[in-house]
Amino acid sequence: MSIASNNNPSVSSQRFWRVLIYTTLIVMAVFYLLPLFIMLLTSVKTLDEIRDGNLLTLPVQWTLEPWKKAWGTACVGLTCEGINGYFWNSIKMVVPSVAISTILGAINGYILTKWRFPGHRWVFALMLFGCFIPFQIVLLPMSQVLGFLGIAGSTAGLVLVHVTYGIGFSTLFFRNYYEAFPTELVNAAKIDGAGFFRIFWRILLPSSAPIIVVTVIWQFTNIWNDFLFGASFAAGEHAPMTVALNNLVNSTTGVKEYNVDMAAAIIAAAPTLLVYIVAGRYFVRGLMAGSVKG
Amino acid sequence: MSNNSTFSRTWWQNILPKIVLAPSFAISLLFVYGFIIYSGIISFSSSRMLPKTDFIGISNYTKLWKTLNWQVALDNLAIFGILYIVICGTLGLFIAILLDQKIRIEGFLRPLFLYPMALSFIVTGTAWKWFLNPGLGLEKLAHDWGFENFKFDWLINSDMAIYTIVIAAVWQSSGFVMAMFLAGLRGIDSEQLKAAQLDGASSFQLYRRIIIPQLGPVFLSAFVVLSHLAIKSYDLVIALTGGGPGRSTQLPATFMYDYTFTRNQMGVGAASAMIMLLTIAAIMIPYLYAETREKKQ
Amino acid sequence: MASIDIVNVHKSYGSAHVLKGIDIQVDDGDFLVLVGPSGCGKSTLLNMIAGLEEISDGDIRIGDESMKDKRPSERDIAMVFQSYALYPNMTVAKNISFGLEMRNFSKAEIKERTESVSKMLQIEQLLARKPGQLSGGQRQRVAMGRALVREPKVFLFDEPLSNLDAKLRVDMRTEIKKLHQRLGATIVYVTHDQIEAMTLATKIAIMKAGELQQLGTPDQLYNQPSNLFVAGFMGSPSMNILPATIAEQGGKLFAKLSQKNTDDLLLPLPEQTGYRSYINKGVLLGIRPEAITDPESADKDSEHLYIADCIVNVTEPTGADLFAITELGGREVIARMRANTPLKSGETGPFAFNMNKAVLFDPSSEARID
Repeated sequence: MSIASNNNPSVSSQRFWRVLIYTTLIVMAVFYLLPLFIMLLTSVKTLDEIRDGNLLTLPVQWTLEPWKKAWGTACVGLTCEGINGYFWNSIKMVVPSVAISTILGAINGYILTKWRFPGHRWVFALMLFGCFIPFQIVLLPMSQVLGFLGIAGSTAGLVLVHVTYGIGFSTLFFRNYYEAFPTELVNAAKIDGAGFFRIFWRILLPSSAPIIVVTVIWQFTNIWNDFLFGASFAAGEHAPMTVALNNLVNSTTGVKEYNVDMAAAIIAAAPTLLVYIVAGRYFVRGLMAGSVKG
Repeated sequence: MSNNSTFSRTWWQNILPKIVLAPSFAISLLFVYGFIIYSGIISFSSSRMLPKTDFIGISNYTKLWKTLNWQVALDNLAIFGILYIVICGTLGLFIAILLDQKIRIEGFLRPLFLYPMALSFIVTGTAWKWFLNPGLGLEKLAHDWGFENFKFDWLINSDMAIYTIVIAAVWQSSGFVMAMFLAGLRGIDSEQLKAAQLDGASSFQLYRRIIIPQLGPVFLSAFVVLSHLAIKSYDLVIALTGGGPGRSTQLPATFMYDYTFTRNQMGVGAASAMIMLLTIAAIMIPYLYAETREKKQ
Repeated sequence: MASIDIVNVHKSYGSAHVLKGIDIQVDDGDFLVLVGPSGCGKSTLLNMIAGLEEISDGDIRIGDESMKDKRPSERDIAMVFQSYALYPNMTVAKNISFGLEMRNFSKAEIKERTESVSKMLQIEQLLARKPGQLSGGQRQRVAMGRALVREPKVFLFDEPLSNLDAKLRVDMRTEIKKLHQRLGATIVYVTHDQIEAMTLATKIAIMKAGELQQLGTPDQLYNQPSNLFVAGFMGSPSMNILPATIAEQGGKLFAKLSQKNTDDLLLPLPEQTGYRSYINKGVLLGIRPEAITDPESADKDSEHLYIADCIVNVTEPTGADLFAITELGGREVIARMRANTPLKSGETGPFAFNMNKAVLFDPSSEARID
């Protein structure tokens, strides 16, 4: 729908409005882009140049030292081995968490739409509300449960936590998707002789690629970006990337190395940004699905 | 085949979906509702450093409301929440309307407004902490550009620090609100707009009288999402200001963490968590109820 | 092949009682059509035969075996769905063979059956395609192929033609009829289209609000509808229903109809035992449009043919026929005449009533009077 000043009698005033709209949009886009640009710029400058210049001065001498330092030798807490270990911690945490929560969400969505039972609405509502609680409320008992299970402070513990609080959203995504999936197909497969798992595997799953992509991106972004659970349940060398970044930035003793901070921040943001660049359309769709529930 | 085996197989097909769903549901019940009950019990107990299960009535709650830090956190949440929701909403709607004017480069511009949403609040906080750095950040940029008297020390000014959190949070979330509004705008029947134009409505009137009133559900969704994010806000404060200077940027979420895990006031911390939960529940439950109802028909 | 017995079947969802004791007997080789307005419970009944919905009370037996507690796959039935329900991710060949694969048929047998069915339905050239690449008519054929390949005891059709355009619908209707004649299969077919019901069925069950209204051959339903609802539902244009009084003159019975501006019309009635008790009482006279014609095309062998002059309100030529509309007993009456009948609206013309074809209904119970 375009309302671009159809009622304006004169062509020149219409052109004026078009120019104004484009200019406004481009200026705003530049402002949104600026932070990322400054981060990149700062990360390739030397500390001296940072002190002498300002946020937007281009480096005279480009350097990749801050990146190397952030990755390999920067001090996080008490150890000075860079953030690479924490980066891999996050990978080790994200991959199983995303895989398990997506699989469970898919099968839950399938049951809640195609194998309904009395009370299915309540089951779904209770699981869905779990996504929105302030997670502060579960920190205390969760830490005790993790301690009881002997996985406190470990990656396995974080995987359990992320799966637990991730299945609400993945179930929501798959439920909404399978709701629109024709039940007649399921009935046809039942008459053809396929059972519970076979119908899921042969009939629904092959048509689920779009929602799998949305769910994986959503879960990946949320779990990678989590800080609260990471900070609460994975101390020291098992900490995920976000926690390490925060420690790196806030606990550096001695000279404050802004260029290293920015390099580390970009490294921490890289996986989700990459996912966003590759599959941005699906990312938006996931956000929308997360906001329009039901 | 015998009647018995037929019966048991049918029975098995009926029970199997429930068995498969059961673990997920049990986990939800235990880890969400069980834990909520547990925290509820702690909030009525005299727990300090270690959890206890005695019952001391509502004294943690009365103590909580008398705690200055909690009042500061609530005031900050009010400032932050209102500004965050209003600015995100206004900015998001504004960009969405501009992008909706048959912009040729829309496909190129849209991702630029949206990408901050992919970042962690910790990254956002780290980045903005650097931009707002009083010595080397924006202030210096302005000085270099000739505004010698420009002063921008909000990050270390306890009256202004809360607004830096608003700025960073708006930068991160407004693109998402824009996407919601854009989807809403695209969903409006174009024949209505043609009819309104034939009726002689100007572009401005068209938006004010026809389009924006129809975006009601989007406003509601945006409000629910943003308010629930505001109440849960924790990461950004930690990364950007650490709650300071002093306690000037404490929010309920940071208050809760502080009191439960570092100040050994577990009972009071649990009470604050319960208050946060109830606030979110008051917003989310009617919304979720209405949304699932609508789908039903 | 098998017979089907539907015995006092009930279905409730919570407090909603959607089927209220249905009894239908389908013989081996019968083509039963379940017809009725939407919400009458016909699709629910079909789903219960398929095993997709549970039977709340009563029993359904296929070939003398109770279907209670039997899964759909154990009932030896095949079903063609309204939306065709083709698996979008599988080729046509896979769609057709999926049911055989699930039943562990040998590869050779699957191949042979798929080939012979696709030949029969002329879809051999489509076997490698996906459902998304097919036209509506082609999808319909594939859906039928998927049912046929299984060679089940019973075929179930759930409004299979409702998504096709008018021309294709007529063609497919003929094909389904041919298939039934060739295979001699037992078929249960749901539709809301009474023409489909008339043309396809050997037996029609007409339903309304969860109750069976009448079960019989198409001829029985058309000519001896058991009540006003059935009379109104079957046939297009539908049966004329006119308020009348039964009069006796010289030992013979007549239906007396009031006429606009002229004397009452007395139409002779055939002798039926039940009519006598309604003498001088009000009844509803049902007479189909084709039983009111111009005198030339009237059935000369009918013993109760009566020709009356009526005022023509409107004429509607359809090409094949001319529908003439007049008014009797305060209601509009449609008569079906020869195409070139010289009638003009506003003028009076001769109408021939074949009262052998007329039926009477009790105005309060709405049941047919015998």
